[in-house]
Amino acid sequence: MLLRCRIPLASFDLDIDASFDARVTAIFGPSGSGKTTLLDALAGLRNIAAGAIEIDGRTLFSSARGINLAPRKRGIGYVPQEGALFPHLSVQKNILFGAERDTDSGKSEPINMDHVLDILEISHLLPRPVTQLSGGEAQRVALARAILSRPRLLLLDEPLAALDIGLKERILPYLARVRDEFKIPMIYVTHNLTEVLTLADWVLMIRQGRLIAEGVPREKLISAEAVTQLADEQLENVLTVNFVQGNREAGNTQVRLASGTELFIPYLSSPENPEFQIRVSADDILVATERPNSISAGNILPGTIRKMDRLDGEAILTVLAGDEFLVRVTASAAKRLGLKEGTAVFLIIKTRSFSL
Amino acid sequence: MIFSFETWQITLFSISVGLASTLLILPFGIALAWFFARKEWPLKSVIETIALLPLVMPPVSTGLILLKIFGRRSPLGQWLYERGIEIVFNWKGVLIAMSVMSFPLLVRSVRTSFAEVNPRLEQIAATLGASPLRIFFVITIPLAYKGIVAGALLAFSRALGEFGATILLAGNIPGKTQTLSLAIYNYVQLGKDSEAYILLCITVVLAFMFVWSSEWLLRAGKKT
Repeated sequence: MLLRCRIPLASFDLDIDASFDARVTAIFGPSGSGKTTLLDALAGLRNIAAGAIEIDGRTLFSSARGINLAPRKRGIGYVPQEGALFPHLSVQKNILFGAERDTDSGKSEPINMDHVLDILEISHLLPRPVTQLSGGEAQRVALARAILSRPRLLLLDEPLAALDIGLKERILPYLARVRDEFKIPMIYVTHNLTEVLTLADWVLMIRQGRLIAEGVPREKLISAEAVTQLADEQLENVLTVNFVQGNREAGNTQVRLASGTELFIPYLSSPENPEFQIRVSADDILVATERPNSISAGNILPGTIRKMDRLDGEAILTVLAGDEFLVRVTASAAKRLGLKEGTAVFLIIKTRSFSL
Repeated sequence: MIFSFETWQITLFSISVGLASTLLILPFGIALAWFFARKEWPLKSVIETIALLPLVMPPVSTGLILLKIFGRRSPLGQWLYERGIEIVFNWKGVLIAMSVMSFPLLVRSVRTSFAEVNPRLEQIAATLGASPLRIFFVITIPLAYKGIVAGALLAFSRALGEFGATILLAGNIPGKTQTLSLAIYNYVQLGKDSEAYILLCITVVLAFMFVWSSEWLLRAGKKT
């Protein structure tokens, strides 16, 4: 996919030149950096001063060649931040609104509606008016509506931003399922690092209308530049694990990382899906240069510092301990322990510091 | 109260021509209101002002303009006359006068209700593959329909109350062009006060019904 565009905005010009080919591409940047404008331009809802947009070798826009496909001919499904469900139509009519799209603009293979409804768990909502949906339900309905229009590309504009934290964590797995089931490439706009790390396999980092970095999220987002953008966001580790066993009396559950490393997390009876994701904040991991002997924490992982980014008063460590972990320590702690790239360390994580 | 044949005749004539004028202007009013609410073009404000002019101009002045346009001595009047269509001093004159005078009210009300429809919904409908016509009829109109109905009711009430432009263009001919307003004026002139009061009651009841339902619809429209 090729995305080259210049759009003059009130306070800066949005000027992006990127070419990528990923299942989920995250557009990551602070509020007001031009992310939504970029999605609008892709969908054909906003004029582009100059540039070109190509998806799968199909030109949607080219100022040089005078091509500018109408939004309805672009075959792009758009889930805006507010969902934008049609308030006068039932859930069913909303969902089917795009199903009549002509085949030359959308994908030609049909998408089974029941399958979409199952994946998003919204079958029971069909007869309801959309005004009676909760925020999370409305987002899933908007997503189903976009998928059933058989798009060649899905645009998701901060689909979780309006939801509270509990709901966010429940919707995120649905997005991952959509990614895996329907094979529709997605562009996902967010300013939340966890969402990028959970969903995306490519990231475009945008600031003030400029592309400041692009690449694989784990590598790019851990740069000093990225972390400075996270002032109000938590720096979190998102790990995919497999259930091993739960022990109610001990109050913990044993899980295994892809690398084979085993961890203890708070007790779960038995998860629906044996593979699931857990999180731990980069601030909740302790670093020691020697293995501690008697300590309450349930997880002590030997590892090596692979990368160290120094910022004002703090250091972000990327530690390879089976999987990669991000750890944030103060500059003084890093100095006291003599931390540098290649140092062998132990990561100490309380069982209860992990969350789902 | 027993209505005379004349009272019935005047009331029915007013209501039917008023209704016809509202139905006549509805498609044009909706189309123009949509262009005002959604499109930008050069001199838009000039066109908007012209469309709203009959609302503020003295109705008699508008009537005089219409008389000059449709009178037999004007090119248009002449052209129509040659085809057997006469506007002046018959019911068609009443229809034209009512339509022109109520048009701005319709456009204003409908334009406001279109402006209140979130354009984002129309944009998203377009990304889902809907044609502009489908968006208009399936998204915009249903979301604005309360304002459209309210505007039509207001326009109809305005048509019923029309006096100045009607009397200039269509005259005040009993049994031919006499509407409720014209008849009240006529009865008062002739000293037939009781007949005038009966018509007055009818106009008050009709006006109350229409304005009340139009306000009710506009309020209901805001809530959803």
